[in-house]
Amino acid sequence: MSIPGPVSPDVLSIRGVSKAFGAVQALSDVSIDCRAGEIHALVGENGSGKSTLLGIASGFLAPDEGTVEIGGSRLQHHSPAAARRLGLGIAYQDYSHVLGLSVAENLYLAMAADDRPPYGRMQSWAEETLATFKLDISATTFTGSLSLAERQLLEVAKALLTRPSVLLLDEPTTALGPEEVEQFHTLVLEQAREGVGIVYVSHRLPEVLAITDRVTVLRDGVAQGTFDAASVSEEGLVALMIGRPLQVAFPERSALPEETEVVLAVSGLRGERFGPIDLVVRKGEILGIAGAEGNGQVQFLRALAGVERASGSASCDGVTYDMHSPVGPLRAGVVLLSGDRRGEALFPVLSVRANATVQVLGRLARWGVVGRARERGAINDLVQRLRVRMGSMEQPVQSLSGGNQQKVSLIRPFLRGDVQVILAEEPTQGVDVGSRFDIYEALRAKAAEGVAAIVKSSDPLELAGLCNRVVVMSRGRIVQEIPRHELGERRIVEAIVGSRVGVTTPATDGEGLLQ
Amino acid sequence: MRRGWLPLALMTTLIVALGAYSEVHSSTFLGKSNLTNLLLAAMPLVLVSMGQATALLVGGFDISVAALMTLCVVTASFTMTPSTSGPALFLGALALVGVGLATGIFNTILIRVLRLPSIVATLGTLSVLEGLSLLLRGFPQGAINTDATSTLTTTVGFLPLAFIGVVVLAVLADYWLYRSRSGLALRAVGLDPTSSRRLGMSTGRTVLLAFVVCSVMASFAGFFLAAEVQVGSPIIGNQALESIAAAVLGGASLAGGKGSFVGTMLAALFLTEINNVLPLFQQPAEYADMTIGALILLALVLYQAPEMIERGRAARRRLGLEASAS
Repeated sequence: MSIPGPVSPDVLSIRGVSKAFGAVQALSDVSIDCRAGEIHALVGENGSGKSTLLGIASGFLAPDEGTVEIGGSRLQHHSPAAARRLGLGIAYQDYSHVLGLSVAENLYLAMAADDRPPYGRMQSWAEETLATFKLDISATTFTGSLSLAERQLLEVAKALLTRPSVLLLDEPTTALGPEEVEQFHTLVLEQAREGVGIVYVSHRLPEVLAITDRVTVLRDGVAQGTFDAASVSEEGLVALMIGRPLQVAFPERSALPEETEVVLAVSGLRGERFGPIDLVVRKGEILGIAGAEGNGQVQFLRALAGVERASGSASCDGVTYDMHSPVGPLRAGVVLLSGDRRGEALFPVLSVRANATVQVLGRLARWGVVGRARERGAINDLVQRLRVRMGSMEQPVQSLSGGNQQKVSLIRPFLRGDVQVILAEEPTQGVDVGSRFDIYEALRAKAAEGVAAIVKSSDPLELAGLCNRVVVMSRGRIVQEIPRHELGERRIVEAIVGSRVGVTTPATDGEGLLQ
Repeated sequence: MRRGWLPLALMTTLIVALGAYSEVHSSTFLGKSNLTNLLLAAMPLVLVSMGQATALLVGGFDISVAALMTLCVVTASFTMTPSTSGPALFLGALALVGVGLATGIFNTILIRVLRLPSIVATLGTLSVLEGLSLLLRGFPQGAINTDATSTLTTTVGFLPLAFIGVVVLAVLADYWLYRSRSGLALRAVGLDPTSSRRLGMSTGRTVLLAFVVCSVMASFAGFFLAAEVQVGSPIIGNQALESIAAAVLGGASLAGGKGSFVGTMLAALFLTEINNVLPLFQQPAEYADMTIGALILLALVLYQAPEMIERGRAARRRLGLEASAS
């Protein structure tokens, strides 16, 4: 493969790479290359396989099939050290910092073993390095006490330390403000001018298109083609990112009376990764939360349920509730359906019956003794109504499929009767198509009773089909609100990637991206 | 690093305080023979605790050390009999180290290859080794070569040579841990295995190394235990929990990545001192157990306090609670 290229040779060449995690095919037969001095964008929806591809390129993951060549040499032994030796630097989306060590120690560990300065000089070397990258961080600080933006910039600095010929950047700007993004891009362009080949993964199309030479689109682990950035429109890219053939059916959306009363009112809520957020949800409304992963959606939802620390306030039915623990929200009728079904939402080894009734045992008990017959009687109808497919009610919930597990956790709000707000985190993740419909129907049924729901989902199609209104979050804030009559998968994806094409409602917040 | 001094200071203070108290109440404590006895009695625990600290540094536990020490004593009763001498005796001693090496490798296979949590894996090893000891010696029998054991207990003044060696070892090990590249790498692997792997470190090799060092240290501890009992007893070793206690009192974190060999040595010395002075006051051993338990809890709270205060402050800063108190 060492034929001298015309001007810029490929510094990274990935050929026919496939990778599966269990039953999920994360990548199938993906090829991508990056030339010296080129900025090559890799775009795609959440879960399209971008991070997996970078993981394979960097040696952290071994592919099931396919090859990786860095600087013309094949990556034989799939290890990060080997990739680094061949000239690869990578900034991970969730960083590679050892939080218990100082900034200097982290920088030191990021150097290849042979290039490290003597241990005794580490401190002064780290200070010089930080100065070179114009980072205003003290070398003695513990990495754990840096802000997210500082951690992100430090991660990029670490990737550049080894003077790589290929630089992989995985969502490098999620924690950065507009000004910092600009500074960061200056740095990236500088590196490209010096001949470094850069693979830039991002979901923010305008941000990325402004500085890249070529773009490769990934969808469901399959490459959709590589294009010259100059010749491709944002609209065309969005179409490639979505373009899904499979249509999921949605139950009929009941017409929501224009102005029902407000159930949930959030004001000035802020936490570690989001805020401040002001929001109202009305009776019978299903509100969707969209956004690229890691923009504070999960934290916001969990803060409302009292499982994440936050300041500010929220009221349910006009009464402000205590958010310091999950008890306050539960008393107020705010219920969280956690996205982590096995870890948080369910007791995996307990029976379907026990999982469904766990929150209302007091009501089902007589003289402090819970009667199984009474329990079964209470959930019998609901099990049928939600179409929970199972052998028996005494079956451990972990033996059910993902979809049926989710239905079991959905029985709870039906059973309680006093629920005002349902907070659903990725309600159909890992759920088969048939069960999805049942889950949508169940949420709709609750909404018809006057319950409000907030659904956080990474699937725009789902939000478009299920919700009455969708808000889009970016960098922890609500940047757009999409009303019912504008809802559509493409409209949501455009809002997530910060695209300016299509109908754009003015952003509720002056984030630089949207101006 | 600044916080790293807290365990050392606390342990030194406790050792001196308890010593002074004992001397005041019973003047035999500072006697030459008592001090020598104390230091020699501390040797097995000091050595095995330093090994345990290594396992804790990579985020693991090694419960099997106690049974390994027993097996070493039993092995010594076969390979280091009073009739062996010269090269045969040397080979016999090597056999003990071999037992340690093998155990360390066995543990690492369970942990790295079969992916068992170290606490469960070494619990299994513990039972296997215990059974093996009982198989070899159904009851205490088989004298151990006294020439070899008396070499171990040679003293200079009141100080056993072995103790001086162990102090030097602990100081060197701490210097290595906090002042060298490989020491830094070891701590990084203990603190965050994923990031360490991303940074190109071989986490598997590090864990192997730590568990082998732990087992070999336990086999050294077995030598001193053998010197103490001088007979192949199949039920002698019981220092598993005490060694974890010493490592934690010495500053090790159960989550990995933190610890001090000097601190561990001091803590092991202190734990032995408690047991040593109780007879001077005619107090039953139950008090020793209760004191050790209470001290571990106290130390854990004390060591974590600065970090918790710092974490609380950082969280408050980030949430801006000072500005907009709700």
